[in-house]
Amino acid sequence: MLYEVLMIGVMVGAIYTLITIGYSMVYGVLKLMNFAHGDVYIFGTLMTYTLLAKNQWHPALAILLAAVAGGLLAALVEIVAYRRLRAAQHRMISMITALGAAYVIQNLSELRWGNQVLPFPSLFPSKQLMVMGHAVSLTHLVTLVIAVGVIAVFNIFLKRHKMGKAILCVSEDISTSSLMGIPINRTMSTVYFLGGVLGVIGGVLYSSSYGAVSLGMGFRGTVIAFTAAVIGGIGSLGGAMIGGMILGISENIISVYVSSTFRDPITFLILIAILLIKPTGIMGKVEQGKV
Amino acid sequence: MPEGTVHEAEVHAVLSARSKPRSNGTIKKKVVGLSAALVIALVLPQVVTNTYWLGLLNFLIIYSILCLSLNLILGFTGLLSLGHAAFYGIGAYTTAILMTRYHVGFLPAMLASAMLALVFSLFLGIPASKVRGDYFTLLTIAFGEIFRLIAQAWIGFTGGAMGIVGIPIPKVFGMPIRTETQFYYLGLILLAITFVCLTIIVQSRIGRALIAIREDELAAKSMGINTPWYIIMAFTIGSFFAAVAGSFLAVYQTTVTPSNFRLEESCLMIIMVIVGGMGNLWAPLAGVLIMTLATEMFRSLAEYRMLIIGGIMMLVLLFRPQGIFGSSAFKD
Repeated sequence: MLYEVLMIGVMVGAIYTLITIGYSMVYGVLKLMNFAHGDVYIFGTLMTYTLLAKNQWHPALAILLAAVAGGLLAALVEIVAYRRLRAAQHRMISMITALGAAYVIQNLSELRWGNQVLPFPSLFPSKQLMVMGHAVSLTHLVTLVIAVGVIAVFNIFLKRHKMGKAILCVSEDISTSSLMGIPINRTMSTVYFLGGVLGVIGGVLYSSSYGAVSLGMGFRGTVIAFTAAVIGGIGSLGGAMIGGMILGISENIISVYVSSTFRDPITFLILIAILLIKPTGIMGKVEQGKV
Repeated sequence: MPEGTVHEAEVHAVLSARSKPRSNGTIKKKVVGLSAALVIALVLPQVVTNTYWLGLLNFLIIYSILCLSLNLILGFTGLLSLGHAAFYGIGAYTTAILMTRYHVGFLPAMLASAMLALVFSLFLGIPASKVRGDYFTLLTIAFGEIFRLIAQAWIGFTGGAMGIVGIPIPKVFGMPIRTETQFYYLGLILLAITFVCLTIIVQSRIGRALIAIREDELAAKSMGINTPWYIIMAFTIGSFFAAVAGSFLAVYQTTVTPSNFRLEESCLMIIMVIVGGMGNLWAPLAGVLIMTLATEMFRSLAEYRMLIIGGIMMLVLLFRPQGIFGSSAFKD
């Protein structure tokens, strides 16, 4: 029993990591709580739902299209809601416009798909495999492999590709990067785009492994991603992974052994406890402020 | 006071760009404006006798108290709190439970509610004051969610999704409050107390310290302002008055349900403050008036409610961040 719970926990953790990386990266670059993240990825997931269940597309094609659409939507949010405010205003102001953007996207998705729970088709055949003497569902295993694969590819992109390096530079210091000739606006849009793409992939994997999707998962996703990012240490890839795993595993243990009602409250209590003990998160570095 | 090293002049130096010299003329204008507003507020229920409009006025009062208190946190200290509805809810639930189950009078129940909100905000404020602004927002979201889930799940204590019904008629100094008009005057007194308290706070050195924190937390800190102390103070005072509003809501509605205190409600308060103008004592009241009337007018567009709310949030902040009546936008 515990083994299965942990296995599902690791899978959910990997999915959360995907969603959190997109979020944490945006935070690292812009130092901005992106409220629209969850609503963007739920938009992409709902779009995948329509393409798969209604239009009978091939899953790979459907996910690709939805991920690109989600990425473009995220980039659009950046251009419309944040770009103007980036330099001049108090940080809080862009947080509120982000919240506004989240509401707009949420309402538009609601007009199209409603807010009831929709049955999400399973992407993989439901089979049980035997791994080291324990039954493991194929869906969970494949989901885990895909999530880890995407994270690995993304990590290589950040370290090796020119754009990835630019993203790392911008998250270090915007003005110096700009002086070195890095196109700030294009980098920002790319970060948002990639965040949206990773979020949609995570959302689709989550929905397919639970067989359901609903609009309400959007805002919860934003909060979970931020919580995981903060727990792990914001802006760090390893931190996103640790945070995502902690949340995924603890959530499943609580749901099974305590009650699913207390899943979110206990998650938040973990957050409060970690912020009390180590305000920068587990992997976070202390940031020196400048006057 | 733990911030013995603060030099008033230095705080002023931070704010020099904003502080305007006060002449006799502006004070006179303010006195005239204030008395005019008071007279209008006092005679309003004699003119407006329609129950529907009186009910609307009472909700205007509730939201005014909420937005004035939120403005202390949001507008003056520059902290985005998405948990204001939870403190509003703590006030409402505490009053409801004390009055229905323990037959406590309204005023003691209200005071107890506000004190409880104060205690909770202190518990939340201590970790929140240690971390950066965005984490503060996350903590308030987390707190709001915990509150909502407890209100929904702890059925034996909070009545679950059905809430608490049959809250008795409040008595203030032996006088029962029954009609809409009586509630209006009770609410008006509470609003006036809130307004006066917040005005005194904002115009004192506390207010100046809060504004200094908003403008530049690090600079404020290096000038000797004990920033965590002031952040906690702003947060607890704001929550205290939110609970007062909740207490009034409980006796006015005679029921409380968890749906009154969702995250959406916190967002609505934020919009009211933004539309009016953050960091201005009067402006949130204008925001409350505009947004309440707009919500009533566009009731048929309920389907597009969030689209409109979100759209207004973005448009106002992108094109007029100081709000409609605010005088100057605050900058980082």
